[in-house]
Amino acid sequence: MTRFQLIAIRLLLLALVLTAWQVLPRNGIINPLLLPPFSDVLSTLWEILGRPQVHEAILVTSAEVIVAFVIAVPLGAAIGVLIAEHDYAGQIFKPLLFYVFSVPKSIFLPMFILIMGIGFQQKVAYAAFSTLFIVIMSATAAVESVRTDHVLVARSFGATRWQILTRVYVPSMMPILLETLRISMIFNFTGVMIAEMYASRTGLGYLIANWGENFQLPQLFAGVILLAVVAIAFNEAVRVLEHRVSAWRT
Amino acid sequence: MANVSPVLSIVRDEPASAAIEVAGLTHVYDGRDGKVPALTDIAMTVGAGRFVVIVGPSGCGKTSLLMMMAGLRHQTSGTIRIQGRPIDNPDPERVGVVFQEASLFPWLTALDNIEFPLALRHAPKAERAERANQMLNLVGLQGFGARYPHELSGGMKQRVSIARGLVQDPPVLLMDEPFAALDEQTRMTMGHELLRIWSQTAKTVVFVTHSLTEAVYLADEVLVMSARPGRIIGRIAINLPRPRTYEMMATDIFGCLRDRIWQQIRKEG
Ligand SMILES: Nc1ncnc2c1ncn2[C@@H]1O[C@H](COP(=O)(O)OP(=O)(O)OP(=O)(O)O)[C@@H](O)[C@H]1O
Ligand SMILES: [Mg+2]
Repeated sequence: MTRFQLIAIRLLLLALVLTAWQVLPRNGIINPLLLPPFSDVLSTLWEILGRPQVHEAILVTSAEVIVAFVIAVPLGAAIGVLIAEHDYAGQIFKPLLFYVFSVPKSIFLPMFILIMGIGFQQKVAYAAFSTLFIVIMSATAAVESVRTDHVLVARSFGATRWQILTRVYVPSMMPILLETLRISMIFNFTGVMIAEMYASRTGLGYLIANWGENFQLPQLFAGVILLAVVAIAFNEAVRVLEHRVSAWRT
Repeated sequence: MANVSPVLSIVRDEPASAAIEVAGLTHVYDGRDGKVPALTDIAMTVGAGRFVVIVGPSGCGKTSLLMMMAGLRHQTSGTIRIQGRPIDNPDPERVGVVFQEASLFPWLTALDNIEFPLALRHAPKAERAERANQMLNLVGLQGFGARYPHELSGGMKQRVSIARGLVQDPPVLLMDEPFAALDEQTRMTMGHELLRIWSQTAKTVVFVTHSLTEAVYLADEVLVMSARPGRIIGRIAINLPRPRTYEMMATDIFGCLRDRIWQQIRKEG
């Protein structure tokens, strides 16, 4: 199948879904109060995009996502490498981390609110916290993917510790680390959303939760579309980053 | 490479022609379940430019011995001198190593893999490329420099690995079963190629193998090791003329030499 055909089929599927979304509520096959027609949602989206409150929400949510990401990824990677490299640290922390990792992070949310309130800091802290573990686990796996014979070869040619780190560890770990970037962005974004929906005064999550509670379904669906666009934008940004970094490898 | 000359000027009481001298070498591993004696009282001398092959049962400590000669592992007791000086740490100016798995870096091209040791020393880019290209030609891989390891056959990978081991022009080359993972045909070709490279570069080679045919074909001298803890239980001089040819393998002398090595190993097992 050619690239063109693939794109055509994808667009066709999208058109089908949107048409159904438009036609079914209009004809009353689906209750339009539960699923407003697509055209109504679109015009609502246009309307809310003009509101300063929505602009602020987009900015706040984006800022929270970026700051939490920038904190969680390097911190988690550093912790993961330390755990993987130190026998004792690994033996002590690995099982603990594994158990904490398996616990849903949202149960810690009330604690974050108690300690930090419901502002920007709390959103960032909670999102970073909920992302940290996946980064630690992946970084540990990435270190373990470094082949001992590669390290031995480098040592036999007189590589210093720093050279072994930069010329063997980093390139060996790169495929897993790049994969981790994308997965952690998903965790990170989810963290911000949950925190905003649970207790907040601004942000996209807060708006959506609010519209839902007030039964403002056109706004709710418009908000969901808006959120999806923002989330996809962040994912694509990470992908661009990924391409940039992997360019020197090929 | 600037500090090569002082090395050459150090001539001690040992004969100047000995490239490797091992004396009273013993090694005990601190394994998970207690101490594992791996090597006992190894003594050997390898003259400069000689091709010495080590054979012995699996687990007798051949790899351990090579690692110590490369300065990659510290022996429990005894001394190892390479080019007249003890070796405590890896020294690529004196020793190049070729491992069983070619152990090429998959993220580097063949040429970049060969340049790797030079890059570690921050050699100028132009010098690196020139030197690496010379090595690529030496191992018969001209035109394959831009390939990644996964685009090379097993034999080609080992050629790259040999080129990488030689790129800093160390006088001593240690090879741990470099052709063990190759099929019989490729293995014979690679042995032949190695002898060609060796005769062009005049290196001192210590080569570990499980193949007695390979041992006789390559060696000036074969050292036979006992089962663990490894000792050297036999030295067999291989006085076949050089250059070696495939036809020699069919001769009686070749068979006799191989038999003698086999007898030594069997006596132990
Ligand atoms: N790090 C280690 N800790 C404990 N024991 C070890 C270690 N490395 C090797 N040994 C043991 O030392 C002995 C010698 O190992 P070595 O790898 O040197 O043998 P080898 O002669 O190269 O074997 P092979 O022919 O199978 O490659 C083996 O019995 C092995 O189990
Ligand atoms: Mg071995």
